[in-house]
Amino acid sequence: MRLFLFAIGGTGSRVLKSLLMLSAAGVRPLDENGKPVRDLEIVPVIIDPHKANEDLKRTEALLNDYRDIRRKLYGNEPNADGFFANRIVTLREIMSNTSVTLNDTFIFNLGAVENAKFREFIGYDTMNEANQALTSLLFANYQLENKMNIGFVGSPNIGSVALNEIKDSNEFKAFSNIFRQGDRIFFISSIFGGTGAAGFPIMVKNIRQAANLEGIENRDALSRAPIGGLTVLPYFTLEGNKHDQRIATSDFIVKTQSALYYYKNTLTGANDSNVNSIYYLGDQVRSKPYLYDPGEHGQRNNAHLIELIGAMAPLDFAGVPENKLTDPDGYPLPTTAYEYALAKDELSLNFLSLGHRTRQLIYEPMSKFHLLFLFLTTGFKDMIGQGFTEDAPKIKSDFLASQFYRTLVDQFLLGYAQWLTEMNDNMRSVAFFKPGEIDMAHAIEGVNVKKRLLGHYKVDNDVFKAEMNKLSKNNPAYSDRSVEFKLLDLFDKAAHNIFVERYENIN
Amino acid sequence: MKHLVYLIIGIAVTVLFFILSCTDGFNIWELLYFNQGYNDKMYNLDMYPVIAAITILVAWGGAAIYYYAINSVKFDRWYHWLAVLGVVAVLAPVVCYIYNDTVFANNGLMYIGESIQFEMQTVLFAALLFIVASYSMRWWSSNCRHTPLPQ
Repeated sequence: MRLFLFAIGGTGSRVLKSLLMLSAAGVRPLDENGKPVRDLEIVPVIIDPHKANEDLKRTEALLNDYRDIRRKLYGNEPNADGFFANRIVTLREIMSNTSVTLNDTFIFNLGAVENAKFREFIGYDTMNEANQALTSLLFANYQLENKMNIGFVGSPNIGSVALNEIKDSNEFKAFSNIFRQGDRIFFISSIFGGTGAAGFPIMVKNIRQAANLEGIENRDALSRAPIGGLTVLPYFTLEGNKHDQRIATSDFIVKTQSALYYYKNTLTGANDSNVNSIYYLGDQVRSKPYLYDPGEHGQRNNAHLIELIGAMAPLDFAGVPENKLTDPDGYPLPTTAYEYALAKDELSLNFLSLGHRTRQLIYEPMSKFHLLFLFLTTGFKDMIGQGFTEDAPKIKSDFLASQFYRTLVDQFLLGYAQWLTEMNDNMRSVAFFKPGEIDMAHAIEGVNVKKRLLGHYKVDNDVFKAEMNKLSKNNPAYSDRSVEFKLLDLFDKAAHNIFVERYENIN
Repeated sequence: MKHLVYLIIGIAVTVLFFILSCTDGFNIWELLYFNQGYNDKMYNLDMYPVIAAITILVAWGGAAIYYYAINSVKFDRWYHWLAVLGVVAVLAPVVCYIYNDTVFANNGLMYIGESIQFEMQTVLFAALLFIVASYSMRWWSSNCRHTPLPQ
């Protein structure tokens, strides 16, 4: 199954980044029996005309790093256990039809939209006087003058016009060519901004009405496709916008209300089957204020709990059984709405603040990944030449200079550390791990190591090395695998054993 | 399989060492140090087999302790192994010297100078046997199987 994941706008990119982190940790969608969904490929497509958006750029860089790392670990195998388990691919990568030209990128090319002012895009100057007057009623002057390479600056009325172009794009054609029955579609967007709030309903409309579109294939499969969506309600505030009111925090609720009414009438009503599953997520506790930036300076918002929780929505959707999304004839069932609640309403969260189901899903993978981060950044280098590194295939010192290692440690894990710090510094604070703590025994907030006869169990790089030595000894499983796979798989298994043996069980 | 071959070869070399320590015509202990009176007394008092056994026990025991009792990631470097070799190379001659001295004293003899010179060989044999023992048994150690040199 392929899960086409359309991440729309800045929130889309940030949620996608959290999904990447969860996937890197090995969090996988589970089916109704609690087993990982088999043969899953996630195809993220970022839709955002604001190419200079820092959140988008950071996510794109991490997506590319993730893809490179995973390819080195598992090749093209969709089913994998452990770190970087979910296979994430671009449209180009899985496209067999070469009649459509696409760049090998995760970003939807909105060339026609990006390069124009909105007034140029709609041909304002060529309209007659009456139409110009009508247009001026619908759009404020700053909206007409908005150069769309900085996005739609919180104006869904611009987005709803501009993004209608998507259906004619090569990306949309490629997507429709690739889409097969059994695949699913998921949208990530915010409802209180411009790009996401407009992009989600337009994309759903174009997919459901695929039969009316020209030049695309698989119309029937597309129009019946199971569609899910994460709609992010207001969760952050802005500061420093006294003289520029294009985006105002005070408008967020009003815009949300309006959009929710619109969604109810067109997408997610009681008998509506345009969207099968809708995940609503927001927080009345607002983030620490983000610097006001409608787009000109790159828009770089700190990572937030909502994005992390939101990233679990597409994973949840991928695990929903087919019969809960479509009827026996293959037609989509009416919308099911989901909400999310924390187990403890706290401002600083650790794993114990999460509900049992979430904890079961992410606690061990995320903790193991954090320990991997500590292991690779504090202890691994000195281990080369001993123990498991000397078992076949040998991990030699030149491995530290390899593209894989540099991508993993210097890029991806750096991004991970940044992501963690940002979530920790935000409101609500996500304090799953103690910032700056390199003592593995005390790194996980709220989770202690078990007691033993004298004192507590120790968890450090030596403990991991010893466990990896034990697992690697005479282990034929790695003889025909790459050193990259061996290192991460060994660590994953060692971390599991150490978790069970040495950490208190909070699940 | 390869590792089992190493173990068998190690045992064979050690048994050969023991046999060559007990023989009259060619005795390995008389290769590097020979003093007619001293060596005759050693032979007549059946001391060679005991000296050889002590050397073997200390060398193999040292290796076994290093690879299976210590067996720690904190001590898996070549210099940790070398330190254990050093201990073995000191301990074996000291124990042998004490044994020699005790047996000679019980027989009213005194060979302090000769014994010290003789035990210099034990340093060498203990070190060599420790290397043999290391390469015989290290393969099954979880943490030190690649010490002193990787497989």
